[in-house]
Amino acid sequence: MSLSDARSTLGVPSLSARWRTVALLLPLAALNTGVFLVPMAYLLRLSFTARTPQGAFVEGSLSLDGYRYVAETPLVHDIFGFTLLFGVLVTALAVVVSVLYAYAAWRAAGGWRALLLGGAVLSLFTTIVVKLFAVVLVFSPRGVLNDALTELGVIASPLLLIDNLAGAVIAQLYIVVPYGVLAVYAVLSTLDDRQVEAALDLGADRPRVFREVVLPHARPGIAVAGIISFTWSVGAYPAPLLLGSGSEQTTAILVSQLLLTDFDWPAAAAVAVVTVAVVLTTLVVGLRRFASGGELLG
Amino acid sequence: MSGLELDGVAVAYGDTTAVKDLSLSVESGELFCLLGPSGSGKSTVLRAIAGFETPDRGRVTIGADTVTGAPPYDRDCSMVFQDWALFPQQTVLENVAFGPKMDGVDRETREARAREMLELVEMTGHESDRPAELSGGQKQRVALARSLAVDPELLLLDEPLSNLDRKLRETMQLELKRIHDRVGTTMVYVTHDQDEAFTLADRMAVMDEGRLVQVGVPERVYDDPADRFVESFLGTTNFVAATVERAGDCPRLSTPMGPSFEAPIDGDGLASGDDVTVSLRPERLAVSAGSAPAAVDGGVSARPGGSGRVAATGAVVETIHRGSDVRVRLSVGDAELFVEQSAAAAVRLSPGDDVTVEFAPSDATYFDAAGGRCR
Repeated sequence: MSLSDARSTLGVPSLSARWRTVALLLPLAALNTGVFLVPMAYLLRLSFTARTPQGAFVEGSLSLDGYRYVAETPLVHDIFGFTLLFGVLVTALAVVVSVLYAYAAWRAAGGWRALLLGGAVLSLFTTIVVKLFAVVLVFSPRGVLNDALTELGVIASPLLLIDNLAGAVIAQLYIVVPYGVLAVYAVLSTLDDRQVEAALDLGADRPRVFREVVLPHARPGIAVAGIISFTWSVGAYPAPLLLGSGSEQTTAILVSQLLLTDFDWPAAAAVAVVTVAVVLTTLVVGLRRFASGGELLG
Repeated sequence: MSGLELDGVAVAYGDTTAVKDLSLSVESGELFCLLGPSGSGKSTVLRAIAGFETPDRGRVTIGADTVTGAPPYDRDCSMVFQDWALFPQQTVLENVAFGPKMDGVDRETREARAREMLELVEMTGHESDRPAELSGGQKQRVALARSLAVDPELLLLDEPLSNLDRKLRETMQLELKRIHDRVGTTMVYVTHDQDEAFTLADRMAVMDEGRLVQVGVPERVYDDPADRFVESFLGTTNFVAATVERAGDCPRLSTPMGPSFEAPIDGDGLASGDDVTVSLRPERLAVSAGSAPAAVDGGVSARPGGSGRVAATGAVVETIHRGSDVRVRLSVGDAELFVEQSAAAAVRLSPGDDVTVEFAPSDATYFDAAGGRCR
């Protein structure tokens, strides 16, 4: 009996089996490394270089200039504050909208359900910038919505829904809600009709069924929707840029400004690294709290 | 006041009518079984009572309330589902306390009530378990406790034991009977298993293709079937195709078994040459070895060749041993019959043996060509 045979009989993965596993994982690892790890490492390194007015950064230097910039500039603090607020606001709204939309789609009969889900998915087929210009067309003072409302006599003067916080939030919602809907719907579709019937049978009307049976079942989907919304919104760039005003500056906008306009790469890198760190910390802390309070993903 | 009343209820799904003009009355406190094959509409009837289906016609009354059209949560009945439908994210105690919670009962009272119910179904000690940790039989008990916790006027059970193995099913049947005796709630139990219906029912109804075929006490329905469908659905029997030789009162029938005999029925509407189906239950057939008419029927000896009895000769084709009994297949004339013998019977038959089969015409049941009962 060869060594590999002996090993597989004993339950130990044989040498050839292990090499096979490595070989299969290699392409993915290479992709991950090349596209993600290496650039992130470079970014991290860049954040520890010295700033200089003569160029992007001082080659080969090691300095805390970038982080000092982040720590000492009040504007940067304001921007971080706004970014987090924006993230939380959009996430809260996105989760609510996603849950209601997915619930409606789940309860809907055949044709309506296809229409609702199709609508959510369809918006994913267009690129972000094009989508956002569509939002402008709909929500601008002379856009579709305001025209309709004025025509119907509901409002006297147009609602200001772009070039402000409302605009940024609406635009960001338009980006993340489709993913939220799909995440929640995917979980809802696994809910056994019998459980709903049992709840109705035991005296729960539809709103209570939603609270007692549907929502608990949808928790994993809601968590995913929340995570997607939060990470995306804290890193939001096109939505606040195109539909917000100067006061709706997120860290991503600041980074692009530092990078491309001010040509201050250490500062840009430092802001980026701090943003990533904040998001990761929030996620870890948030998930820990949820997980300890019950089975979130189970 | 009856526990449940259905009056001319009809339920249709698109083009098909699942339930056709069904009227039924269940007494308060009765354990009533709805028996029928798959697709007979029995589950639809139950769902119409519970409120998950709205009848196109007819009226449903639970106790003193007419509930047709009312949503499930407004009806004073609760249902035990076939797959139990326990809430997976809640503990056993929370599951059982769910109904009272929906009624607005405070936590302490409803938890006490839940514990009481769990004790009734012998599931004390499992309060903090989750449904996923329970076996099928345990889930069944919890589902029952949950439905009883709301103290319903009517309890509906939709084939609750069909997902359990045979031994467990039999144990649970007796458990259900015990609980019914103790609690006294009117129960409507749907099943396709005739043995189950016989074990549990105070009264039962047989359903076929959306209509109620016969209602009565189990023994009565077995002994006095309304039509051929009921006869064939309950237990096992030998159907022999006979022809009317001579019409009139007590018509003479010829059978492929060999002998002709007079059937103790009034023969109205039967003409010479008409087809009649004769049903011979195996327990009514006396089989003896050899061609002599001395019958030993599982230990009880019958009067040999007595007047009025029909005897025919044949041979054993096959014996199928089924543990405690043996099914013996016989070829009698041109007909194929079977009987059941205890495995401990004194005389064991083997393939190829000559046998004599005897029965009394009054022990057989007769059906016309359309399947209706001839009396």
